[in-house]
Amino acid sequence: MNREPELIARVVAGDRLAARELYDAHVDRVFRLAFRFAGDADLARELTQETFIRAFAQLGRFRGDSALSTWLHRVTISVVSNAMRKVKRFRTRETDLDAAAPMIAESPSADPDLRERLHRAIDELPEIYRITLVMHDVEGYTHEEIANVLGVAEGTCKSRLSVARAQVRQKLAPFAKEWLE
Amino acid sequence: MTQSDNPESHNSSPLPEPVRSAMRDYNRPPRLGAAESDAMWSAIERDAFPRRFSSPSAEHRAYGGERWLSARNLLPLAAVLLVGVVIGRFALPRKSAAPVSVAVRAPATDSVGVPELYQSTASRYLGQTAALLVSLPTEARGGHADARFLGRAHDLLLTTRLLLDSPAAADPRFRTLLEDLELVLAQVIRLPSDQSPAELDLIRQALEQRDVLPRLRSAVADISADD
Repeated sequence: MNREPELIARVVAGDRLAARELYDAHVDRVFRLAFRFAGDADLARELTQETFIRAFAQLGRFRGDSALSTWLHRVTISVVSNAMRKVKRFRTRETDLDAAAPMIAESPSADPDLRERLHRAIDELPEIYRITLVMHDVEGYTHEEIANVLGVAEGTCKSRLSVARAQVRQKLAPFAKEWLE
Repeated sequence: MTQSDNPESHNSSPLPEPVRSAMRDYNRPPRLGAAESDAMWSAIERDAFPRRFSSPSAEHRAYGGERWLSARNLLPLAAVLLVGVVIGRFALPRKSAAPVSVAVRAPATDSVGVPELYQSTASRYLGQTAALLVSLPTEARGGHADARFLGRAHDLLLTTRLLLDSPAAADPRFRTLLEDLELVLAQVIRLPSDQSPAELDLIRQALEQRDVLPRLRSAVADISADD
C-alpha cells in the first residue's frame, strides 16, 4: 500500500517522524542526481539538504498530480540549476586565472584522455541539454519522466537529447573518431 | 517551438557504446553512507522543523558542522536527563515503593495511549528496543559491542528522539518511557569509546532502577492491544 499520501499529510502537519520516512525513501536518488550535476560531494550534500528543506516547506502545495519522486526531482533540478549558475561563474573565473596557459598550449593530439574530453564536453553543454543528456543517457530516466520533471513536452525532451548528443559528437570528433564510428 | 526544439530536425541515434560507457563515469556519485545521511537529516531538521532547537543561528545548516548526535552533545544531554530523573526521584513524593511502571504511574488509565497513526511505528520501535536491551549483556561483554549492534542502537536513539518530538509523545507515560530509553540508548552508543565494563554496569543499573524493561514490555502490550 502506498503510504506516501498519509506521510505527506503528516509532514504538512509538522510531523518530523513522517518527514524522516520520506527523506529515507528518497535521499539516495536526490543525492545521486545532485552529485551528477555538482560533481563534488560537499556541494551535492548541500544541494540535497536544500532540496529537502525546500520540499518540506512547499509540500503543502504538492497536489499529487505526479508521483512525489517526480516532484522531488523537479525541486532537485531547480535547486541544482540555481546553485550551478553561481558555481559556474566562480569556476569560470578560476579557470581563467589558473588554467589559461596550459589550455592555450594544448594541441588536439596532446590530450589522449578521451574520457576527460567527453566529460568536459558534457560540462560545456548549455544547461537544458546537459540536464536532459545526463538524466537520460547517464541516469537512465525515460523521456516521460524527464518531461514530467522539467515540465516540458516529451517531444521537447527528445529534441534536446538529440541536440546534446550532436554537440558531444561534434566536440569529440577531432579526438575520438574510432569511438564515434 | 524553436529550431533546436524540433524533434524532427535532429538525428537522435544513441551514442556508441564506448562513449555511453565512459559517460556513465561522468560525476559518478559515491555511495551515501548512513552517517552522512544522518548528518544531512540533522541539518534539514534544524531548518525545516526548528522547534527542538533553541538557538538556530548557532546551529545553522552546514554540512560538516557539529552533529547533533555527536558524543560532545550527547554527554550533556545524558547528564541533564540523569539529573532530571534523579531530582524527580528524590524531590517528588512517592506513594509506593513498588517498581515504577507505566501502569503504576498512570493517573487515569492503565495503558499507554499512542495516536493510531503512530501505533505501528511505536510498536515496531518498542519491540526492537526491547530486543536490543535484552541482548545487551551478551552483545556488550567486556564493555564494548560490535559496530552492527551499535548501529542499531544509534538508529533506535534517532527514532526515540523523533518520537519524542511527535504527537506520539503527548501521552505522559509514553513520554517518560521514551526519555528513559533516550538516556539508556545514549549510554549504549558510548560503549565503544569507554571500553570499560563499568560503563555496562551503569547501563544495567539504569535499566534496573527505572524498570525500563518491564515498562517497555507493558507499553508493547498496550500498543499491540490497541492495534
